[in-house]
Amino acid sequence: MNPRAIAAWSLAALAIAVSTNNPVYRAVVALCALNLILARGRPGLRLRPLLVTVAVAAAIATVVSLLLSHTGTHRFIEVPGDVPLIGGAITLESLVFGLVTGLGIAAALLAVAPLTLVADPYDLVDALPPFLARTGAAIGTALNLIPTMARSAADIRDAQRLRGWRPRRVRDWPDVAVPVVLTAVESSITLAEAMEARGWGSGPRTHYLTAPRWWFDVAVAVSALLAAAAFLALRASGAVPDWYPFPVIPPLPVNPAALACCLVLILPSLGPDTR
Amino acid sequence: MDALSFAQLGYAYPGAGHRALRDVDLTIDCGLTLLTGDSGSGKSTLLRVCNGLVPHFHGGVISGRALVFGQDVTRTNTRRLARDVGFVFQDPELQSVHARVERDVAFGLENMRVPRGEMRARVDEALHLCGAEALRERSVATLSGGERQRVALAGVLAMRPRLLALDEPLSQLDESGARALVAAVAAAMERGTLAVVAEHRLALLRPLAQRVMEVSGGRLSDSSDSDAGPAMHATALTGRPGERPSPNHAHVRLHGVAAGHPGAVVLASVDLELSGGEVVAVIGNNGSGKTTLLRTIAGLLAPLQGRVERTAGRVAYLPQNPTTLLHRRTLRSEIEWTLRHGGGGGAGADAVDATLADFGLEHVAERYPRDLSTGERQRAALAAVLAGSPALALLDEPTRGMDATAAARLGRAVQRLAATGAAVVIATHDHDLATHVATRVVETRDGAVQEQTVMAAAPA
Repeated sequence: MNPRAIAAWSLAALAIAVSTNNPVYRAVVALCALNLILARGRPGLRLRPLLVTVAVAAAIATVVSLLLSHTGTHRFIEVPGDVPLIGGAITLESLVFGLVTGLGIAAALLAVAPLTLVADPYDLVDALPPFLARTGAAIGTALNLIPTMARSAADIRDAQRLRGWRPRRVRDWPDVAVPVVLTAVESSITLAEAMEARGWGSGPRTHYLTAPRWWFDVAVAVSALLAAAAFLALRASGAVPDWYPFPVIPPLPVNPAALACCLVLILPSLGPDTR
Repeated sequence: MDALSFAQLGYAYPGAGHRALRDVDLTIDCGLTLLTGDSGSGKSTLLRVCNGLVPHFHGGVISGRALVFGQDVTRTNTRRLARDVGFVFQDPELQSVHARVERDVAFGLENMRVPRGEMRARVDEALHLCGAEALRERSVATLSGGERQRVALAGVLAMRPRLLALDEPLSQLDESGARALVAAVAAAMERGTLAVVAEHRLALLRPLAQRVMEVSGGRLSDSSDSDAGPAMHATALTGRPGERPSPNHAHVRLHGVAAGHPGAVVLASVDLELSGGEVVAVIGNNGSGKTTLLRTIAGLLAPLQGRVERTAGRVAYLPQNPTTLLHRRTLRSEIEWTLRHGGGGGAGADAVDATLADFGLEHVAERYPRDLSTGERQRAALAAVLAGSPALALLDEPTRGMDATAAARLGRAVQRLAATGAAVVIATHDHDLATHVATRVVETRDGAVQEQTVMAAAPA
């Protein structure tokens, strides 16, 4: 898929996910994002790291909300009030609130995941508008340097350990941190030298490859952005109100138009596979 | 018009107390010119004048005249000179701009605003010249060092420079990678491209060279008639290759060790014994498991199967890029740090001075290590790691970027270390080092570690 279409889709999905706390809409966004990643993910993609990250982030949000919200009618247990922060009632309503918060974080993470799991990050950087092209190239080059720096950091840590380094105190860490940073800076300078030696900075550049632009990509981008705009308009008009499970859990209101806006996000998963 | 014309060229880096180039007169109008000389002599600086990195990128003070294809280097920026002079650096990992080979090769063409329609043909041509067509769709991160260096050369050749400037391009390559790169340079020269190459590993390049110039203390002299090259390197190392010492208690034993990462076994069922007093050279192509073996012996990598037994005593480990370890303000304090932390009997001035003398670094003891030349930094890192007489020393490509004199000094230091009872293991492409310093040679190949009983002759 065209990286700009993916970027537009992610922006729309993120806008919907963060603008509402209704779990129905958040769940639909999350499922559409997951479907997109499964249908259009780059070859060789491993989903486990993403799913673990999302699950951990959502779980943390859930637990924090559960322990810090002490309102609600249906109480599980009562933590003594003199316990800092978490003292008070642990309620069903606060559990639901925590789950909805966790779902929001999951939806937001999944909404932006296609930027790296469906699009090639380098294609994405290349797709930046001309006035951001140099910044994009610098970012792309930095992305290239990251694996090298990660290996270098591990090597430095291992070798310093064998020289006798033992991190017993915070002030021991500069013995690893300093060479890592210095090496990163030197590597950046060397890479800059190499780029300059190949004519970088001569002015506007031509492009070897451009991402194919296909009518379907245009349809995905336009429909996603329109759907997000419509959803936000519905929110602004009050047709899609906030939802809170306090003091008792109310029924979940679902606006058909708002739901339709969320379901539009399934579109990129349905198109033909051009991989 | 000469391709390159330097007259009374002088140069000093910003803030340096001495000139890196002095009164250099050089004219290049054909073929390949080889630049030799000790580390820190000015070879890299001289190369960087060819494409304007000196003075435009590095600053400093330049004097004399420097013309490249009639263009005054002091008045023509690097970006403009890049159209005529292609530069390949020493480190293959720090030249890639894009993640994919094809895109990376096209980078220079994009900067030159070559029309898209023409780019593809030029990328094809450059990859073909470097024997790298099969790498086109590959991710740069998956390439070996030799492959990356060829891709770097392709990226430069795509720009169709009239002159190639190569700064120690073979230093990090194994034998096959070095041969492939030299073949690519030869192919480019057949098309009329001139080349100037700074290198310590001269065996493969010397047959191609029209001239050999020696750089010493920033001054240039013609040494085309002298017998520079591997013979000098070999004799400088002296020696008699170490004889296998009488059995000493084993420092390290590997029993049925499989090494690598889960899902990617690099070495299988390794049985190896290393005794005090031995110097064991580990040879093998890139990716064959030399570094994995060293890291497993050091305890940095847990064996996937089998066990590793080590006797007590400090383990010194020199990684492939050891200069990354340097972080103190002076070389002296760097060595003191190791002696203090490593329990090597204290950080007394005598111990530090002895280490500096072992590696010929007395004159740079008070300098910031990262400001030293490539070869001096390599020696500085060795000194920092080996200070304090470790019981087991594991060195990964220690002579990378080193000139013959420094390599010889390292060889003697290694032999002295072994004489104290330490076991020394060296992973190396340096055939001369393995031949003249090692008491044993093992080869990593096809997932196994095989004892070599006879060293093949060094390539002519």
